[in-house]
Amino acid sequence: MKSTDIAIVGAGPAGLAAAREAVESGLSVMLMDDNSQPGGQYFRQLPRQFSRVDRVRHGRAERLFEVLDHPRLHYLPDCVVWDVPEQGILAYAAGTGSGRVRADAIIIAAGATDRPLPFPGWTLPGVITAGGSQNMIKGQAVRPGDDVVVAGNGPLLLVAAMHLISAGATVRAVVEAAPFQRRAWSRLASLSWSPSLLVQALSWRLRLAAARVPFLTGQAVIEAHGAPALEAVSIAPVDHRGGINRASVTTLEADCLVVGNGLAPAVELTRLAGCAHHHDPMLGGWTPRRTKDLETTVPGLYTVGDGAAIGGVELALAEGRMAALAALLQRFPCACLHKRRHNLARHLDRLGRFRTAVADIFAPPETFLELITPETPVCRCENVTLGELGHLAADGAAGMVQLKSTTRLSMGRCQGRFCLATLADLVATRRGIKVADLDWPRFRPPARPVLLGDLLHEEIPPPVLPDDPHLPRGS
Amino acid sequence: MAPQDGLRIETVVIGAGITGLSTALFLARAGREVMVLDRGDPWGESSGGNAGTLSLQVKHPLVLDLMQLSLDLWEAEAGSRNLGYERTGGVRVALSQDEVVMLKKSVALQQRHGYGFDYLEGKALHRAVPWLGPGVLAASLSPRDAFSSPLRCGPQLLRAVSEAGVDIVDHREVQAIEPDGGYRLVTPAGAIRCDIVVIAAGVWSGHISAMLGVELPLMVDVNMLTITEPVDHVLDRVVTHIGGVLSLKQYPNGTCMIGGGWQGKGNPESGTKELDYEQLLHNLRIAARVVPGLRQLRILRSWSGFESVAPDALPVLGRLPGREGVFIATGARGGYSLGPAQGMLLAELITDGHTRLPADSFDPARLV
Ligand SMILES: Cc1cc2nc3c(=O)[nH]c(=O)nc-3n(C[C@H](O)[C@H](O)[C@H](O)COP(=O)(O)OP(=O)(O)OC[C@H]3O[C@@H](n4cnc5c(N)ncnc54)[C@H](O)[C@@H]3O)c2cc1C
Repeated sequence: MKSTDIAIVGAGPAGLAAAREAVESGLSVMLMDDNSQPGGQYFRQLPRQFSRVDRVRHGRAERLFEVLDHPRLHYLPDCVVWDVPEQGILAYAAGTGSGRVRADAIIIAAGATDRPLPFPGWTLPGVITAGGSQNMIKGQAVRPGDDVVVAGNGPLLLVAAMHLISAGATVRAVVEAAPFQRRAWSRLASLSWSPSLLVQALSWRLRLAAARVPFLTGQAVIEAHGAPALEAVSIAPVDHRGGINRASVTTLEADCLVVGNGLAPAVELTRLAGCAHHHDPMLGGWTPRRTKDLETTVPGLYTVGDGAAIGGVELALAEGRMAALAALLQRFPCACLHKRRHNLARHLDRLGRFRTAVADIFAPPETFLELITPETPVCRCENVTLGELGHLAADGAAGMVQLKSTTRLSMGRCQGRFCLATLADLVATRRGIKVADLDWPRFRPPARPVLLGDLLHEEIPPPVLPDDPHLPRGS
Repeated sequence: MAPQDGLRIETVVIGAGITGLSTALFLARAGREVMVLDRGDPWGESSGGNAGTLSLQVKHPLVLDLMQLSLDLWEAEAGSRNLGYERTGGVRVALSQDEVVMLKKSVALQQRHGYGFDYLEGKALHRAVPWLGPGVLAASLSPRDAFSSPLRCGPQLLRAVSEAGVDIVDHREVQAIEPDGGYRLVTPAGAIRCDIVVIAAGVWSGHISAMLGVELPLMVDVNMLTITEPVDHVLDRVVTHIGGVLSLKQYPNGTCMIGGGWQGKGNPESGTKELDYEQLLHNLRIAARVVPGLRQLRILRSWSGFESVAPDALPVLGRLPGREGVFIATGARGGYSLGPAQGMLLAELITDGHTRLPADSFDPARLV
């Protein structure tokens, strides 16, 4: 088993900021990320083999990446951290090696995943998530489509639309479900405490206006049509409770539909570690309980950035530093570091308030269940439709665990990332209770699908085989 | 459904796993009045989360007849409903010279009990089963080995039992049992009275018999399982191992299930069920040795569950000693595969006082 002062999962802004703070203060760091390139989602890089001259040079990214050359940092790209087998230990697997690492502190900065929402046609080729669209553009220099509709909810739509335009696509419309109003922008402007973020938000909006992209609010995609791939998108007004006005449908032609309904923190590892979580829609759903120092309920285990609570890049950078500082303070409790932490905490507070304001403006309708027709697959891995689930959940008696085992929903490749939230919404609505009060199925390792062959590298003592295959092996 | 406080029922079965449901099914078919109680979701424990291997050739010689009966029942029942049952036949592999010796001995012993299994080694084996790795030196083959996907079987079996006229009451834990001429079962939602009690509570069976003052030295195995992503169909037989440390099969949906009784961590009292990293690695390593193609597959999920095992691994099936009207079935190694037959014998014992197969070596009295 390897050992290190700090083990960090995720080489996005949060993880890199944590790594820099730690190595610069003399700690050793092992940094693991399942991508081949550092940067995470925000600073996603083109593959090294690409020789484009117009490679975007992001000054901030370059500065963050400097830490990767630090002698006290051990960076493992293409590496999946798949379990927390014991407190203070992570299990990792990469093509180049696998095993366990023991650390005094663990910082999980695993980022977020798209929160897909089913609607008729959502599995058609040409329908992709906002995160997927960003990956194609930033990570592969591929334009997802020529005529694109961007739809869903939240500020990410604006970002996705902007990147699509830069990539040369025509954005037919940005369709925002929130009953957004003009005064929203002025409300945002009143948030004087975060000018740099504000400038950025306004610039997205202005760039879209300059490109003459219609920004439709209070509307949602009710169906994606086409065979064998997407040809058109139907949209209709949606009210704040999720009711859809099917009497006034508009249809837009498009060869690509980018859907973003916000992000959900990737909490698999904090779940597997046994951290307590609570449900907060504003933070992306399930989110680990954290102290001001961003420590979870498991001592020595911190979680930061979008992987803990959706908050964007500035918050991620600051949280990464904070967790590293907190871990450092455990070792060197000195006045200087306390002071640094104090200042950082104030900065985090300000960013937190900005997050609340943005979330408020983009508050989505209460539910999107009305969008789903009985024939719509809710779980695309196991092809379970709403009809099938609705039938089973009809009397409200069956819980999530039972519905999962009867339909196999969430048992496929996505491990539930694409469907469990919808199931929860469905069961909670039927029962008239909160999503947070449902019994969720247990989370099981691996945190992400991982190649069996990649797991076998670690040398461990030879097994003790039973003398008699029948006799009890336990206690 | 919430049974009335003080309601009197002829027979109450405690536990809605394969054992309890099978017993209830055969009792109901014999005209008995039966209610099944479970402390959680029916099919929510061992029976819902096990590997589903139904192998004749891995059984202890004293259990071969029982297993053969069970396979007959699986097959008969699967004729009328989808129990996720598939009769693929099976290979039981040996990976070292020592294991080859063990395998030959076992095949000879089974022969003496009247069960002949083919034995193949080297080239002949690899021609017959081309997806086995070069590390497999020999294997015995059984055409009767099969599997049943627990996730497919559960809902169908529950439906069959309900259709036979049995009430299955979930989230109703039996917390105490008081003799009152018959028995009074205390649950959080009131008491239920009955003449006959069937203990089929899996790893909690010892806990229930202790409520009646009978201590049984049952053990708990915490077995781990792993499932892979779905791929094209290759594994056309179930795989087991002479040393009992591998079970492997590919379900019709293309996923491969890897088990073998490697021990996780946890206990029934707290309900914790965790993996043991090193044990899991051993399990995956031996699987990859036997079927090297598995290395290319992603694993999607690993978990552990409890198995109740008697110290001699034989069924604990029959009357609870000293307690008129109380019956028990648990403790057999591989209780999923044996479930239907155990249910049938217990139902026969209750209704007729005797069983179609000799069950003396399974008598619970041997443990007290
Ligand atoms: C990982 C794993 C893999 C396995 N693989 C195989 C295999 O491949 N082949 C095979 O044949 N066997 C296998 N087994 C063993 C097999 O799963 C069990 O022997 C079998 O399922 C036991 O069934 P059961 O009905 O006796 O117990 P269970 O299925 O555990 O049912 C007992 C029920 O009793 C209920 N209960 C407990 N206490 C109370 C109470 N006080 N009041 C009311 N209800 C109560 C429980 O909630 C539970 O639902 C495996 C076991 C495990 C854990």
